[in-house]
Amino acid sequence: MSRSIQYTSSPLLASRTPVWRSKLVVGAVALAFFGLAARAAYIQVVANDFFQRQGEVRFARTLDLPANRGRILDRNGLILASSVPAPSIWAIPEDVEIDKDQLQRLAKLLEMPVAELAKKFADEDKTFVWVKRQVDEAVARQISALNIKGIYQRKEYKREYPEGESAVHVVGFTNVEDKGQEGVELTFNKELSGRNGSRRVIKDRMGRAVEDVGNQTPPLDGRDLQLSIDSKVQFFAYQKLRDAVVENKAKAGSVVVLDVVTGEVLALANYPSYSPAKRANLTGAQLRNRALTDTFEPGSTMKPFVIALALEKGLVKPETVIQTAPGRITIGGATISDAHPHGALTVNEVIQKSSNVGTVKMAMQMQPHEMWEMFSQVGFGQKPQVPFPGVVSGRLRASKTWRPIEQATMSYGYGLSSSLFQLARAYSVFAREGELAPVTLLKATQSAPGVRVMDANHAHQVLNMLHLVTGPGGTAPKAQTMGYSVGGKTGTAHKQEGKGYADKKYRGFFVGIAPIDNPRIVVAVMIDEPSNGKYFGGDVAAPVFSETVQQTLRMMGVQPDMAVKPQIVAAVEESF
Amino acid sequence: MIRLNLVLLLAVLVSALYLVGVQYDSRRLFSELDKAHSEATRLETERERLEVEKRGQATPARVERLAREKLQMRLASPGVTTYVSYSVPANSQDQPINARTNGPAKKASQ
Repeated sequence: MSRSIQYTSSPLLASRTPVWRSKLVVGAVALAFFGLAARAAYIQVVANDFFQRQGEVRFARTLDLPANRGRILDRNGLILASSVPAPSIWAIPEDVEIDKDQLQRLAKLLEMPVAELAKKFADEDKTFVWVKRQVDEAVARQISALNIKGIYQRKEYKREYPEGESAVHVVGFTNVEDKGQEGVELTFNKELSGRNGSRRVIKDRMGRAVEDVGNQTPPLDGRDLQLSIDSKVQFFAYQKLRDAVVENKAKAGSVVVLDVVTGEVLALANYPSYSPAKRANLTGAQLRNRALTDTFEPGSTMKPFVIALALEKGLVKPETVIQTAPGRITIGGATISDAHPHGALTVNEVIQKSSNVGTVKMAMQMQPHEMWEMFSQVGFGQKPQVPFPGVVSGRLRASKTWRPIEQATMSYGYGLSSSLFQLARAYSVFAREGELAPVTLLKATQSAPGVRVMDANHAHQVLNMLHLVTGPGGTAPKAQTMGYSVGGKTGTAHKQEGKGYADKKYRGFFVGIAPIDNPRIVVAVMIDEPSNGKYFGGDVAAPVFSETVQQTLRMMGVQPDMAVKPQIVAAVEESF
Repeated sequence: MIRLNLVLLLAVLVSALYLVGVQYDSRRLFSELDKAHSEATRLETERERLEVEKRGQATPARVERLAREKLQMRLASPGVTTYVSYSVPANSQDQPINARTNGPAKKASQ
């Protein structure tokens, strides 16, 4: 007999179960189903948004579309500044696995000491360190070829400045964040920057974008900026200035070249300068754009404006004789003297020989407010309307406060101050037949209307006087240049030191116009503290003027207006 | 009736499989397009970089140095330049045509 029994005949079945038990089970199961349904409804209806979003972040990604920073171009479309890719290298120190050999090779690629590099990887508390920012793309490619774990690259851009130190004062530079820090890069930062765009995509397992979702914002690239600077003129001006500063053992120097017709700034150079690529250990002396941000007493370069006013008021004619002997004049107890006594001079010769006494004699016949008006009309004491950081207005006190001796000294450029840029612009009055040229750093397409300051005839008469300055018997024969007639005015001013004037410290200037018959450019040169024996503006600044004019006019395609002895040795006979 | 339902079921199945295929194709093409776009951007920046480099090689400073040192050239002065003027209608050119003969006469008068 088998020990098993049939299920149906099991005695256990005989015992009756209470009905509530089965009801309880049914109820529990029903409750469970209800719970599921409620949860499903919650997920599908109530909290739908949350879960949709959670799902999306697992496959949808927002990609940044970086905008390119605009380029800075010169007047001929040559690049002065442009952005190039420069990946930055970063690391998660904890994850870095690097052996000795790799470390050495990496250090060599990054041009960093091995110890410094090892230190960066040693700090395991940090989750992010920059190894080096903005390396060359070629270097970055070699680094990724090393295939070191824990080292990553981030796509970044940096600015390249092909012109280097010659144009850096105008162009300026940006920082690692691609924000303008100096010069045009700073003033026009907004226009150059553009706006980043973005797009949202679905990415697959391999990280490839497979579908666009939602709205796309296309990036808005920065605008290209075309300056009025001519990079060749800029370079020559800088080069000649640098040579002159070095030769004269001067502290610094500046040169400004203006196009008279359009009011464009063709060149604006300063020395000492710096290379925009190597900006470590920069000093303010190198960084400053002196031509725009430094003021000084303009000295004798102010005289032509006083003479022009005298002509305007009908006080003198160019041929009027003024007695300057004995080379001294006393006003209010102070004596003003000429560097060399001259005797009787015509007004023409007062400018030609730069006689302080002659100028003062004319100035003392004027009202202070008349002089003030003339000075401020040509831009002294006014901020030049050029968009540039740190432009100064110079100092021109209200005429009511002028004492007679101050009126006298102001007529030859002491007691007021101006930047070299203001001085250059003021001289455009003589070059444009009495009209003050507007100035612009951006390329202009047409000639700009000026503001009439004086009669065309009088401006012309002063222009002729300026021409005499560079002729025989003038203070600046060295300003002459082969082939082109020039005119200008020298200035040599004692530098101020503390309350008084420094005994042996000077600034030499020359501001001039060329060609005389049909002026095209104004060039202003300033040499600060020449200390190699020579310090007169006619000796230190005029040669820079001469060479700059020569090169600028040649590059502008202006024909020489003076006969030159041809130096062509062999000419090929052409037969047509 | 059953036959019609079967046909419809088959149609739905075919359409569903076709959809999967099309979707796959579209994603593949999209990612290819995307890759091409980023390649275009890369080439564009590369071009920009090369252009800047080219410009860097042709700056006045470098040209001047090479011209002087390698080619023994010097700056042209008006003394070694022959200017060729073309006749233009009067008063449209701001340079006097016979500037060379005008120059000295003007100077003498001052």
